[in-house]
Amino acid sequence: MSDATVAVAPADDERLAYRGVFQRLLVRPEIGAIIGAAAIWAFFWAVAREFGKAGGILPVLAVASTLGIMAVAVSLLMIGGEFDLSSGAATGTLGIVTILLVKDVGELGGAGLSLFIAIPLSLVVALSLGWFNGTMVERTGLPSFIVTLATFFMLRGFKLGFSKLIIDNITVGRIDEGHGYDFWVKIFGSTWVRNDHQFEARDAVYTVGILGGITVLVLAFYEFNYLRKERFNSAGLASFVAGLGGVIAGIAVMHGTDGTGGNLAAGVIIGLSGVIAVFGLAVWRYEPRSLGALSLPSDVVLTAGGGLALIAAGFLCAWQFDVNSQESVLDVASALRWPLVVVGGGLAGLIMFKKRGAQISGDTQQQIQGIVRISTVALGTAFGIYAFMFMTTEQGLRAILFAAFVMAGFVLMAMASTHAGRSSATAKSIVQLVTSVAVVALAFFIQGQSGTPKFRTEVFTILLVVAMIIAGWALTNACFTARRATDAHADQLGSRLAIGGLVAIFVGLGIKLLFTTDAEILAGIPRAQFRVEFLWFAGVTALATFVLGRTKFGSWIFAVGGNKDAARQIGVPAARTKTQLFMIVSVAAWLVGLLLAFRLNTLQSGTGNGLEFEYIIAAVVGGTFLTGGYGSAFGASIGAFIMAMSKQGIPAARWNSDWRFAFLGLILLAAVIANNFIRTKAEESR
Amino acid sequence: MSSLIELDNLGKFYGNIIALQGVTTEVHAGEVTCVLGDNGAGKSTFIKVLAGVHQHDEGEMRLEGEAMKFNSPREALDRGIAAVYQDLAMVPLMSVWRNFFLGAEPTKGAWPLRWVDKKEAKSVAKAEMAKMGIDIRDTEQPVGTLSGGERQSVAIARAVHFGAKVLILDEPTSALGVKQSGVVLKYTLAARDRGLGVIFITHNPHHAYPVGDRFMILNRGKSMGNFAKDELPRDELVRMMAGGAELDQLTHELESAGGSGGGA
Repeated sequence: MSDATVAVAPADDERLAYRGVFQRLLVRPEIGAIIGAAAIWAFFWAVAREFGKAGGILPVLAVASTLGIMAVAVSLLMIGGEFDLSSGAATGTLGIVTILLVKDVGELGGAGLSLFIAIPLSLVVALSLGWFNGTMVERTGLPSFIVTLATFFMLRGFKLGFSKLIIDNITVGRIDEGHGYDFWVKIFGSTWVRNDHQFEARDAVYTVGILGGITVLVLAFYEFNYLRKERFNSAGLASFVAGLGGVIAGIAVMHGTDGTGGNLAAGVIIGLSGVIAVFGLAVWRYEPRSLGALSLPSDVVLTAGGGLALIAAGFLCAWQFDVNSQESVLDVASALRWPLVVVGGGLAGLIMFKKRGAQISGDTQQQIQGIVRISTVALGTAFGIYAFMFMTTEQGLRAILFAAFVMAGFVLMAMASTHAGRSSATAKSIVQLVTSVAVVALAFFIQGQSGTPKFRTEVFTILLVVAMIIAGWALTNACFTARRATDAHADQLGSRLAIGGLVAIFVGLGIKLLFTTDAEILAGIPRAQFRVEFLWFAGVTALATFVLGRTKFGSWIFAVGGNKDAARQIGVPAARTKTQLFMIVSVAAWLVGLLLAFRLNTLQSGTGNGLEFEYIIAAVVGGTFLTGGYGSAFGASIGAFIMAMSKQGIPAARWNSDWRFAFLGLILLAAVIANNFIRTKAEESR
Repeated sequence: MSSLIELDNLGKFYGNIIALQGVTTEVHAGEVTCVLGDNGAGKSTFIKVLAGVHQHDEGEMRLEGEAMKFNSPREALDRGIAAVYQDLAMVPLMSVWRNFFLGAEPTKGAWPLRWVDKKEAKSVAKAEMAKMGIDIRDTEQPVGTLSGGERQSVAIARAVHFGAKVLILDEPTSALGVKQSGVVLKYTLAARDRGLGVIFITHNPHHAYPVGDRFMILNRGKSMGNFAKDELPRDELVRMMAGGAELDQLTHELESAGGSGGGA
């Protein structure tokens, strides 16, 4: 269930239609979370510059790590059909237990153990805690919600009580005084400060990684989508290599020059060579398609023309845009404003009453509905008039019209492209090419008209990249034959290439994040700190993904969560599996407790309380069902990343962080709706 | 033909309730033994005793001549008695191949790096089902997307693959339409032809008669006797099922009430 995209069906069935790479990606439980994470990151990056830099992203990763380790473990438990409300309090408890075992002060003298004994001992405590939860749930048959809620309160009490009893303080501190700290801090608390590590060839490695990764990803995409040729075309390979060389030359030009002129020249070189490279790659390996007779149905031309006209209308609205102007749109005498609001609202209500009045004569429920509807319309209209007269500046109105027209225009273009696709692939490609030209026009328009330079350059670049992707997609679709059948070899190659490309990109990004250069130190970049938590987080996620997807125990987790009776009937040790899941959660809590103890050195007795719901939210955002039986550990780690971004992003964007939970709630709702939608789609496409 | 299972005067009590008493029958390899009974006749208790969910209190159960008392379903399964229940046979959100191998996944590698051999599992699942004549398009599809009849069929194929000698089918057709029931009956016969002793439990004599070789009828926890197919015409089976004389009387009453209906 967890690696449907990678697997190759051993025996192909002729009744199975070929599913393209997008359809196959859509059935993954975590796809919604990945898209959401990218969107939220892009959003915060647009409003808070730090999110594009190591200094901004690393604190997010630090929060995501401890949250994510727990979210991954909790997602396993939830797939197994249970909850653990004590998981949050357990993290603090196990950290505090470890420190208390080390202390040798206070009324009772303390145990004064070495960390070499205290850490394994607290692991034993963790295992027994999980065993207790699991056994209680299994023996009593009570819902795990109730049982672990009880454990949660007990742990809260123990934390406070034992801390006070042993060291007479609710702040349990100084793990660094324990014997063996120097050894254990390497495992649970080591850090890596980027500014201490220079690597002059960093940018070259980064560029090669990113470029190579993108190229390989494009190739993987081709492999999934197009029919391979019997004999490869060496001219295509040559033009690919030439194009790649052009891209590198363009990047060199960009580094070597200053100012807008140089950037523009480099941009043109990079863009053109990129198209040549991508196209050459396709010519090299894939079967060309005969273009056939070109026909553009009149409705397609009409829709596309309408779309272009709307986009142009949008441009007209925002021509000579001045962001600083505060001029109001309507200059209505102030005495007339409120009467206008009342009259407008009343009029709207009256019209609604004329239309829907008949309904009000029905039964009580219909009467209520009718009244609610009429008053909504009346109040809405009144508010609209009010907002228009009191709040809208001329520039604001123009911005709204611009956005509305342009958006509607692109929606029409998309419709035209779908319509065209019904008649021929060539027609569709032509509409897509026109769309990409419109995107380029939009990019230049925004660059020329909009206010802040940061917004200008970033939106410009993004729009150009989007245009390039649309154009490339349109061109290759027009020129090459789409694959319509499963091809085990091509699928395998495609998925290997996709993984390889992603790895190359991540290595490039990692190198860029991990090291610094002379020039940057001279410019005084902020210190960026990597923590060992990140590795633990990655390791736990990878391990859990492997266990879920590839082991017996993983199958059993899905089975006990999906249908416990059936699982038991067929011979799965259901009670044992569930107990082990509770123990996995408490061991994760032990790990997180130690990571926190070594990071903070001192733990408050309230540490971790209330975080259990964040773990559950992260798991659900990542595609795990609240009802059990379905989900993904990788998704949960992405969910944790989303939570961490919202925690860190709101202060970074200098918003009032009081609103954080409202934002979290929205994300949760959106994630659940998206997951539900994806699940329906997935079941259809099966 | 040797008998796989022999039941001798089997009885089961829940406190003071006599659920099953004096049940004597035989199950032969390569034969379908139908157990028929109306609601409350003791069919479920009968299955549960055979499948190891409950233990009998009276009489003897012999598996290949050896007296047996199973303590758990797993134990019965290990001895080759597999039960396929109508509703709790499968995990709907899991793929066909995972369901097929659930609890007995083929693995590769040595502990702790032991993983499920997915390729092998998928191809075996597909091949095993093909041998039974079940044609699943994609073993990666969730079982929840299969029809009720297909689900039963996968469960039957699974039991056959894992070396069941005795296959107990609990009301496999009760929730199914006519066509789907036909499909399940076909696989029941396929399992029989592969040499399994099949126990087919149903309250529908029309489903039992075409597939059954032997019939045992339960009524109010007691066996009303064992019959071979040639001793028992279909009408007689239907009549006994519905309580014989009671049905006659009902038919009579209905006819005298003026309706022309009432034909069995």
